[in-house]
Amino acid sequence: MFKTPSHILLVDDEKDFVEMLSLRLQENGEDVLAAYNGQECLDTLEKKTIDVIILDVKMPGMDGIETLKKVKKLHPLVEVIMLTGHGTIQAAVEGMKLGAFDFLLKPADFKELTEKLKRARERRKEHMERIQKAEAAMLLRQSKI
Amino acid sequence: MENSDMTDQINILLVDDEDDFRRILSKRLTRRGFYIRQADRGENAIQMLEEESADIVILDIKMPGMDGIECLRRIKKMPGMTEVIMLTGHADIQGGVEGIKSGAFDYLSKPVELEHLIRKIKQAHHKMQRIQAEKEEAAFKERVTQQMVVAERLVALGTMASGVAHEINNPLAVIQDSAGWLQQILDKPQMQDMPRRDDFQKGLERIEKAVKRAGKITQQLLQAVKTQTTEMADPSSFVETDLHKLAQEAVTLVEPEASLRNISISLTSREPHPSAWTDPLQLLQVLLNLLSNSVQATDDGGQVFINLAATLEEAKIIVKDNGCGISKENLARIFEPFFTTKEADQGTGMGLYVSWGIITSLGGLIAVESEVSKGTTFTITLPVKK
Ligand SMILES: Nc1ncnc2c1ncn2[C@@H]1O[C@H](COP(=O)(O)OP(=O)(O)OP(=O)(O)O)[C@@H](O)[C@H]1O
Ligand SMILES: [Mg+2]
Repeated sequence: MFKTPSHILLVDDEKDFVEMLSLRLQENGEDVLAAYNGQECLDTLEKKTIDVIILDVKMPGMDGIETLKKVKKLHPLVEVIMLTGHGTIQAAVEGMKLGAFDFLLKPADFKELTEKLKRARERRKEHMERIQKAEAAMLLRQSKI
Repeated sequence: MENSDMTDQINILLVDDEDDFRRILSKRLTRRGFYIRQADRGENAIQMLEEESADIVILDIKMPGMDGIECLRRIKKMPGMTEVIMLTGHADIQGGVEGIKSGAFDYLSKPVELEHLIRKIKQAHHKMQRIQAEKEEAAFKERVTQQMVVAERLVALGTMASGVAHEINNPLAVIQDSAGWLQQILDKPQMQDMPRRDDFQKGLERIEKAVKRAGKITQQLLQAVKTQTTEMADPSSFVETDLHKLAQEAVTLVEPEASLRNISISLTSREPHPSAWTDPLQLLQVLLNLLSNSVQATDDGGQVFINLAATLEEAKIIVKDNGCGISKENLARIFEPFFTTKEADQGTGMGLYVSWGIITSLGGLIAVESEVSKGTTFTITLPVKK
């Protein structure tokens, strides 16, 4: 079965982890980019179209929550899935309040991750479609004047 | 003030070789409500005390065979807190003094005046009670200090272990995803004819299983440390909990394992519906840990008991078994994270550590008593009010 790849951005400071998870997602036919800190994540978003970000909460420098805030401000339509350790579940809750789509405990179950990715992408699609409809309606009204 | 007139609770052994004297005195003391046994010789007295100890021994000094002083010395070497009142012959102050030097409470010279003797008995009994109370208090203080030392150690160990667990989680995730990636590749149609594919499959499955196990351990550990460091459990998960129902649930869950080995689990409670304001899921977790430990420690055909009691102030949950028991050295360590005497795939040593963390965060206490090859008793005390 053919499926259009999702554009996924994986953000984590642990390089081996990013690499392996990328390989797995690519093996499933996804299009994956990597960023190793919050700033790189923001830079990538400026240059590329991204559907879903998988974002680690615990990173040195700009942490996951800070990054999430900026992402949501600059690119509100990009969906974010947070990755958290056990002690940082509080951060996951905060992330959800700030507009993250969902969260996963590390080490995450791959099946669960792909499931959540799928739903995040669907939500983004619906969201985009509604915006397009609204824009079309607006154009229509303008042309009538 | 008279201390009390509960003379029937004072257990006396009267030792004298003069039969008439002994019988008459015994009769009089019995009439005054004391519980009296009699011995006619020192040797017999010692034997009787070995069978059943006495609070007070009234002891004649001059007896054939083992004399009073020798008998007194032996009594003082016995465990227990027996007080001895010596009876001396008329004007035998020498013997009385020697008795006191050897640990007698006091001496009376014959002929004995009954009221005088009774006064002495009560004084001696009073002294005994005071010493006993002091001993109990010292033991209590010792237990409290010990618990505090244990608590400090556990918190320190937990902090360290959780740091390690955090660090291990990342490499674990890498291992898991590496194995998962290879598995994905192996599942591709073009890989179905790969040489030795089954061996690869087998290796990957082992890795996955081991990673899952390691993940579970770090998870449990972090969970346990979290419940302790947040000091108190989340009060929003507290409800009025029927302890009998909860314990019944725990029994139902452990019963399959127990019945396989013919181990009976019996649940009794003093009140019909003992209850507490607490977190039922967390408490269930503790009961499951204790019950499965008991079942694992018990031989085929053994017995496990759960006993519940609740007052307006606190609830007690006692889990008792007649299993293998715990040695003294191990007893000091069973609440530590990762302390286990079981085979690697049988136990990780987290059960009691987790339980301790939960009970502490619920504002309760967990204590243990055990004797090797006799059995083990865990006692949980929980506050019951909102
Ligand atoms: N009822 C009991 N009788 C005898 N020994 C016990 C009992 N309960 C606990 N122990 C001893 O205490 C140790 C620690 O118990 P704990 O429940 O913490 O870990 P475990 O049972 O070994 O492993 P886990 O609970 O993680 O599967 C046990 O290995 C055992 O030696
Ligand atoms: Mg156990």
